[in-house]
Amino acid sequence: MSTPDSELDKHLAALFGGLDTRADFDVRLMARLRAESQTDATERGKRARQQELTRHRRAVLELQSRRRLTLRMLALDALGMSLPLMVAVIAAWSRFGGDVMDISRQYGPYIAMFLAALIAAVPLLGMWREQTRSPIRLF
Amino acid sequence: MLTNASLMELVRAERRDEAIVQLLPAYRRKVFGLAYSLLRDREAAEDVTQEVFIKLWRALPAFDGRASMSTWIYTIARNASLSALRARRPQSSLSDAEVMDAVESSNPLPSADVLVERAAILRLVDQLPTKQRQVIMLFYMQEQSHEEVAATLAMPVGTVKTLLHRARARLSASAGKMSATA
Repeated sequence: MSTPDSELDKHLAALFGGLDTRADFDVRLMARLRAESQTDATERGKRARQQELTRHRRAVLELQSRRRLTLRMLALDALGMSLPLMVAVIAAWSRFGGDVMDISRQYGPYIAMFLAALIAAVPLLGMWREQTRSPIRLF
Repeated sequence: MLTNASLMELVRAERRDEAIVQLLPAYRRKVFGLAYSLLRDREAAEDVTQEVFIKLWRALPAFDGRASMSTWIYTIARNASLSALRARRPQSSLSDAEVMDAVESSNPLPSADVLVERAAILRLVDQLPTKQRQVIMLFYMQEQSHEEVAATLAMPVGTVKTLLHRARARLSASAGKMSATA
């Protein structure tokens, strides 16, 4: 076998010059890309839905936490208001006339109970309102 | 020829399939050649070429146009070929059937002597060190310039010239030895 450079070149070009993919390469690739495209769209849809769900859940949790905080503030408010009210009533007690004193002596426990129930009812009403609120639906 | 700007335009318009269709004529054989020069198996090289274009399709939205498109494609092709090479069992050399298949498909109707000679040369190419084999295959496969082979293999042009020269010298010498012993 004698192989001068030009012959070698010729052989190498003949060996590798014609190398190519099969004729249906492009068709097969495009079919795979179409399938990939569908999967990609489904995946993107899933991801978007998941992200939206997470965002929604976070918003709902935040809202619930705010409501609880508001209720707590409301309860403390009611408690805080009841104390100066009591002080004011006690301070004003002596200035009331005899009739008022009689009435208060007669109905004092009821009035006190009514006031206590009114003050205690504020957070209870808030809680009841919270529990009877229709649940937030995600979808 | 698809420019970076027009490629990015297609990607922005959600027309990645079209971008791939436009990239295929320019890069299919080059990517296939690169994969084949490493894997030495047409089927495997074709699978890798498909994978490369699918990876390209997936990665197109991330292409910012700062790097050259060809550099980007060859990088993906080299990495995919090397991964495929690592994943398959090590292949020491081409089998007789593979050599004959390659030689017979290289040029229809050569004489029996030419077939034998080409089979011998293919075996010699197969035994070359990887880099030399890659340079030889890519250079003759696509009649590429030294610059193009250098870009495909991410090598300096000087290195490609040196590797090509060494490979050809080695092939000539081995072919000479074979003819002397025949």
